[in-house]
Amino acid sequence: MAMRFSRDCDACDGDGQCEYCSVEFHLRAKCINDQTLDVTSKDLYSSDHTVVPVDFSDSSTGIDNGESKGIIIVKLRRGQELILRAIARKGIGKDHAKWSPAATVTFMYEPDIYINEELMESLTLEEKREFVESSPTKVFDIHPTTQQVIIHDAEAYTYDDEVIKKAEAMGKPGLVEIHAKEDSFIFTVETTGAVKASQLFLNAIDILKQKLDAVRLSADTVEADEQFGELGAHMRGG
Amino acid sequence: MNAPDRYERFVVPEGVSKVSYERDTKIINAASFTVEREDHTIGNIVRMQLHRDENVLFAGYKLPHPLQYKILLRIHTTSQSSPMQAYNQAINDLDKELDHLKNEFEVALARHTGKQQTQDY
Repeated sequence: MAMRFSRDCDACDGDGQCEYCSVEFHLRAKCINDQTLDVTSKDLYSSDHTVVPVDFSDSSTGIDNGESKGIIIVKLRRGQELILRAIARKGIGKDHAKWSPAATVTFMYEPDIYINEELMESLTLEEKREFVESSPTKVFDIHPTTQQVIIHDAEAYTYDDEVIKKAEAMGKPGLVEIHAKEDSFIFTVETTGAVKASQLFLNAIDILKQKLDAVRLSADTVEADEQFGELGAHMRGG
Repeated sequence: MNAPDRYERFVVPEGVSKVSYERDTKIINAASFTVEREDHTIGNIVRMQLHRDENVLFAGYKLPHPLQYKILLRIHTTSQSSPMQAYNQAINDLDKELDHLKNEFEVALARHTGKQQTQDY
């Protein structure tokens, strides 16, 4: 399928109207009766059946509503009519943020959590519970059998030093030591829904490779300079 | 009014080459590369890779002006190598690293989806 960018499309001279670089949608809606008519994304009819409006509204509820209503565009009163033609083109986020499939992308260093077991032994079960509770996110937990403080989810640690402060407040500094691993990261990728998050990551790697390829020194750029080389440069500039 | 069009950020105009370089006349084994229509995405990653090359004495990049979409990359090397060689080597190494990252990710993804499918029961 491989839709092209309108700019690069030679079939229509970059006009952005041909079948290779654009998808046309049309919508006709008229409200005839007294009830308010909801014009939704389901009313947008595509000229290419493989390209459809994105709609995740039904899967989120989990209740079987039968058909999903689609995303509401506008509501019409009796006598009002809407006729429009929409053209969808491919683009990149650099051109306009509407084309970026990434919603939120974050990264943090992976934490290295070390519990000082000897100091931990000196705490009562109540104090251990207080310590575990003091973290806003569930990083630690009490092991059901051994009643020890264990690491429940190291990645949930957000580098707020609440547990460190709690340990100091209890009079036990150095109870836990948390460092950020310098070369291990946790990336969180959230998309708008147009592409899957895993697919977005793979696409991003491909695009980065393409960029690097474009930026490589070609043999003729080097050759043109090689002819004159160091001596030429010195002769030219001193 | 004076703002350039958004597509100027990534469309290389006619007659302009994507990457060009000038040797430094006063310092041996030093060159300044100009990469058109690129930004920190390429500049930073190539600079970081150049720092890992033991033949590279100096590597730095800058965007001369935020509204002029090009980067200047300056490389000094020892006589064991040349700036052009170091530059291409850095790009090749990055390419391999990205290939490795992609493969590892695909393996981990397959493992994860496999585990999820068995967990659904």
